Amino acid sequence: MIFLATWLVTLLLIALPYPAWMMLVLPHFGFLFVTWWGLMRNYQLSMTLLLISSLPIDVLYGTSLGLHGLLFALIAYALTLLGPSVRQVNWVRQSLAVFVVLLIASAVSYWARTLTGQSPEFLILVLQAVVSALVWSPLRWLYDSLADSVQGLGTQRQ
Amino acid sequence: MRPLFSETSVAAVRLIVAVTFSVATIFIDSRFDALTMVRQAIKTALWPVEQIAYFPGRVSSEIAIWVQSHDLISERLETIALENERLRTEQLKLQTLRAENAELRRLLGVKERVNERLLQAQIERLSNDPFVHRVTINRGLLAGVTEGRPVISADGLVGQVVVSYPHAADVLLMTDATHHLPVQVTRTRERAIAVGVGRMDRIELRNLPDTVDIVPGDLLETSGLGDRFQPGIPVAEVKEVIRAPGQPFARVIAAPLTPMARLSLVMVDLAEGDS
Repeated sequence: MIFLATWLVTLLLIALPYPAWMMLVLPHFGFLFVTWWGLMRNYQLSMTLLLISSLPIDVLYGTSLGLHGLLFALIAYALTLLGPSVRQVNWVRQSLAVFVVLLIASAVSYWARTLTGQSPEFLILVLQAVVSALVWSPLRWLYDSLADSVQGLGTQRQ
Repeated sequence: MRPLFSETSVAAVRLIVAVTFSVATIFIDSRFDALTMVRQAIKTALWPVEQIAYFPGRVSSEIAIWVQSHDLISERLETIALENERLRTEQLKLQTLRAENAELRRLLGVKERVNERLLQAQIERLSNDPFVHRVTINRGLLAGVTEGRPVISADGLVGQVVVSYPHAADVLLMTDATHHLPVQVTRTRERAIAVGVGRMDRIELRNLPDTVDIVPGDLLETSGLGDRFQPGIPVAEVKEVIRAPGQPFARVIAAPLTPMARLSLVMVDLAEGDS
């Protein structure tokens, strides 16, 4: 249920119609969704579920199907390895760690996009990683609150 | 002793499987267009989510109209604006058709093309990915919008429908890096292929002979080759012609006539192809 709730919120954040000038300063909500799961709930995360959940994100972004699956798998794996040490540090260091992981994902994204005929600019991908790292803390709070609410509802039902 | 299958190695195996699956999916989708049905199914399932996402924007625009307290007037204004957009588009095409007609009259015996049917549509959202120039319009299969339909605005060509869903359609803008468009220079009838470069304000003509007769200010229009776009739809204005010394080919940079970033209303050409 928590996965479904956080995924739906992520889809909503992606599907919101933003003005064209905001495109370069928008965080990648999909990456932040996986970051939260990779860091906070990796023991509940299934790779199959992650791959399936990435397909609608591909459709919303208009990218090739599978692109976000590839990136999500890499981010989730990296954060699962880093998870215990990154969870303990303060939000600034956490954001820095998230930035490094997203930067690596951006490099892979650059490579995959180039192969599919797009002409991406790496600096824009870096900018997206920076903005995503900056937004990480408030979004983490949002997902934490959402998870607590869903968990609370489940407990009440029982 | 270290276990043969530790937790890390299990995770690594899962990662390898996931990466292989993803790369295979990317390859199939980008090279063979074999997953259009999957895309259509997912987009249809996402329809409620998208409607919820559009809701705040729609409510705010509705409130803005209501605050003006001129419901009827605003409705009428909207109709007139739509009609005006349609007429401006028709006027643009008419100018090109006149020029074409004069030329055909000289040549004699060439059948004139007059068939066209335009469907108005509103742009609902722009892809959030800075490298993907796609927009979603509010007309789909139910309104007769199918894959490959040209999309134009009052100023000129916008792009083409790449995926159509029951209530919406994805339009690939001509500025997308994967878009290729057969064009000709209005003044000289010189033909070329215009490719998007991933910038909303630019398209390029590449691999043209160094001696090509194109100058800044020339207008580019669709050539009609490829049977996808009608000939004569205004496309872009040439801004720069780059002739590098020692290079056999010239590169032409042009600015699309349609302001892609500020687009809200477009028209889908539903005319059956004949020439």
